[in-house]
Amino acid sequence: MEIVTKNWEKINPLDINTYIRSGGYEALRKVIRETPLKVVSEIKRSGLRGRGGGGFPTGEKWEITAKIEADEKFIICNLDESEPGVYKDRIIAEKNPHQIIEGLLIGAYAIGAKRAFIYINGHYKKPAEILKIALEQAREKEFVGRGIMGSSIDVEIEIFSGAGAYICGEENALINSIEGKRGEPRLKPPHPPVSGLFGKPTIVNNAETLANVPYIIKRGADVYSKIGPSLSPGTKLFLLEGAVKNKGIFEVPLGTTAEDLIFNSLYGGGMEDGKEFWFAQIGGASGRLMPRGKLDQLLIYGPSEYPIGAGSILVVDKMADIKDLLFSWADFFHRESCGKCVPCREGTYRLWEIAKWLKNNDLKERDRENIEDILWTLSNTTFCPLGNFAAVAWSDAISMFSEEIFGK
Amino acid sequence: MQIKINNKPYNCESGETIFSICKRNGIRLPTLCAHPDLLPSEGVCRMCLVETNQSKGLVPSCVQKVSEGLEVRTETENVNKARKINLELLWADHAGKCAACLRNGRCELQKLAKEYDIDGFKFVPRRKELKSENELDLLKDNWSHVVADEKNPCIARDSQYCIECRRCVRICREMQTVEAYGTNYRSSNTNVGTPYEIPLDCIFCGQCSAVCPTAAITEKDEIEKFEKALADPQKMVIVQTAPSVRFTFLEEFGMPPGTFGEKKLVAALKALGANKVFDTILGADLTIVEEAAELIKRVKNKGVLPMFTSCCPSWVVYVEKYYPEFIPNLSSCKSPQQMMGALIKTHYAKKEKFDPKNIVSVSIMPCTSKKYEAARSEMKASGRQDVDIVLTIRELARLIRKKKIDPIKLEDGKFDPALGISTGAGMLFGSSGGVMEAALRTAAEKITGEELGRVDFEVVRGEEGIRCAEIEINDLKLRVAVVHEIRNAKKMLEDLKSGKAQYDFVEVMACPNGCIGGGGQPVPTSPEIRSARIKGVIVRDKGMSIRKSHENPVLKKIYKEFLGKPGGDKAEELLHTKYTNRKNIS
Repeated sequence: MEIVTKNWEKINPLDINTYIRSGGYEALRKVIRETPLKVVSEIKRSGLRGRGGGGFPTGEKWEITAKIEADEKFIICNLDESEPGVYKDRIIAEKNPHQIIEGLLIGAYAIGAKRAFIYINGHYKKPAEILKIALEQAREKEFVGRGIMGSSIDVEIEIFSGAGAYICGEENALINSIEGKRGEPRLKPPHPPVSGLFGKPTIVNNAETLANVPYIIKRGADVYSKIGPSLSPGTKLFLLEGAVKNKGIFEVPLGTTAEDLIFNSLYGGGMEDGKEFWFAQIGGASGRLMPRGKLDQLLIYGPSEYPIGAGSILVVDKMADIKDLLFSWADFFHRESCGKCVPCREGTYRLWEIAKWLKNNDLKERDRENIEDILWTLSNTTFCPLGNFAAVAWSDAISMFSEEIFGK
Repeated sequence: MQIKINNKPYNCESGETIFSICKRNGIRLPTLCAHPDLLPSEGVCRMCLVETNQSKGLVPSCVQKVSEGLEVRTETENVNKARKINLELLWADHAGKCAACLRNGRCELQKLAKEYDIDGFKFVPRRKELKSENELDLLKDNWSHVVADEKNPCIARDSQYCIECRRCVRICREMQTVEAYGTNYRSSNTNVGTPYEIPLDCIFCGQCSAVCPTAAITEKDEIEKFEKALADPQKMVIVQTAPSVRFTFLEEFGMPPGTFGEKKLVAALKALGANKVFDTILGADLTIVEEAAELIKRVKNKGVLPMFTSCCPSWVVYVEKYYPEFIPNLSSCKSPQQMMGALIKTHYAKKEKFDPKNIVSVSIMPCTSKKYEAARSEMKASGRQDVDIVLTIRELARLIRKKKIDPIKLEDGKFDPALGISTGAGMLFGSSGGVMEAALRTAAEKITGEELGRVDFEVVRGEEGIRCAEIEINDLKLRVAVVHEIRNAKKMLEDLKSGKAQYDFVEVMACPNGCIGGGGQPVPTSPEIRSARIKGVIVRDKGMSIRKSHENPVLKKIYKEFLGKPGGDKAEELLHTKYTNRKNIS
């Protein structure tokens, strides 16, 4: 099942004509002949959910902003992707940048935004360059700018390069960053769809989410909503890595099981030779650890025991040292905490400190109690979800592999 | 709307936060980032977390707004667990040098640590305090970036005490619009500091030091200089005390705000060994007489109007740095401190046959900015620095405690009479609107030549940020305004620029409610505390036998013997000053 990855082999990202020849920008042409609210309702009916991790229904989000009267509105494509092991948005941008641009233009039209941004991770030099070229070509073809395709609709798109902070993928921190402020989450409410960039109603959508939009418009919400489970329809890009045979990006319908993804020869193809499955981490560094017995869980957005986040699946085999993993998780979150609230700023630091001692087999008795306290405060008291994320994998590891970590 | 807190019903309005309802009803919630002088908190410190029936986890009460059917519990097992763990985390990141700390006993973190039984370190401290050999290696690893800034003339910063609550960032932005502070680096290296870590470049108001919960930001401590002068038998130590500090001094020793502490203050200074203790109120009265003369002259000669008061050095430097086009509007009068300073080393020294070079002139102020003012190069009427040492009332109290003096137990002291007669008008200088009222009392009599029947100008009193009034004196109509906090001053200046407002005379104080809320006043501060202080001032003014500056007998004598007439050559030389455009200097 291909939606986002469709035609990748036919398309030259540096040549807009290859995209147009494969049906590109038809959705945009269709959209501008309809009313914005009709577009919103189409997306709403499709059941599309945000692909950045939260899984919030995209149409509902658009509807909030579309219905607000404001002198200015914004839409932002979130391409800040910076969780370890997640690189799907980068690949989309590199393989088919116009799919993102078209989705963004449709979103802008639907909500009534005249200015759009692509907020791209500061380390993504190559995809930023490709997007820039794509944008120039789209402007030449009058898909972007004043009077899109001869209509009276204006949408300007700007590429805004962040500085590579993980927290700037959080929509409020991202908005602060564009405003020139420190990349830190803001207090909610107000939520961005009501008051976001420069205090104006603002939609922030993940790049993969937007890349789904042209397909939905072209084929219709009914077709899309029938792919996968009804509450979480469509396909998703999953990233397989670790001890699995075939690594990389796989597009599968939501509702596929982890077992299928990892062991089906179409996708992961099973474990690497000589390696035995231990557990899988679902959804990136902030993801939960899935044991063998839970592999039959459906991978979906919405209520789920194992949230799929941005779609990364790290397969860990029994040779792996859990202490290395614990360190790498703690190291990542310690580095990326924004420093705003006490539990995250200090807690991630202390967890990293303890992870260091753990790795060196230098754990003291009191550290064990401290781990529990830190994980508890991260899970329960932080300002934004990043703090909670920092505790997810650790908490699972402590409860599942206490013996491997602390000894008997 | 009604909500339940700890099973008891409370009335509230929609839009209110749980925190503010608790505060109003005397339910204490710990906090390290909220402050009554700041806009509602952003929820940074996570100390005020509570449990509610409407959310699964803990919620920050300072941020969470009330809703129908809300039930709050402020002291559950989880709430206390959260507070304790987060305090432990902060504690290990804090300097932990309590015994030697300037804020020892007055530190909000220390108080909470005590309340929540934080003793010792649950986590390895990241600062220097651990000395044992085996822990030292850990420390090397843990050592975090510390910024100590000694370059600001009034404010000292040491980030090892900082708990990143950001009150300073917010007060500097919200109240003073100066934005000297910001946040640097991220994660555990996050440091509240200045942009690019330059030395603090500001208007010296010290509000940051008044709201800082720890000793990360303090007044620049000059106790040692004072002690040295006191110990030197060659030196004649002459102290002056500002109008407002007599109403706040005893707060440092456990008395309620607004308690009149003049006599104990003088007694304590004498007990420390000061040779003479004078009253800055004489300087205030001089300022009024000179300023009234200047105002009348400006009005009569169609000079630059409105005239701005110039006794607040933070306001003066704000104009010099941000609105130099308004420099001609600033009164050329020196502040009371500097008028006193000039008199002490000229007139008084001459009269008493002291060599001014052996005089150490010390002032006790509610203000951090006065340290800067005293050091300004223009302030050398006597040929040398007129005021040598400026101590905030906090520093003085610290020294008094250090010397184990209990001022409350001392016998009452009295100002030395040579420069120590106080008036009600001068007393008023302590709170916003006071300079205006004192000036109006004098100006009215000077213009009409008649004695005022009622001396109270209530229209200029109050707590609003900008208060305007039209005062009629004979056929002269004076449009006056009283402004406090720089954000209001900025608005006033912009209104003047755009023509939206017209005034003849404007009093501006940088700190909330004037000097009574000065950056060097005792901590804690809040609108309620300042109200109580102001009440003290007004009661005292009413009870004074002399309530008008120009009737101060010492002042009259000085004009007769030494200065000539207000605005005359001698007065001009000693009591007036010049200003500099500092827009491009940082």
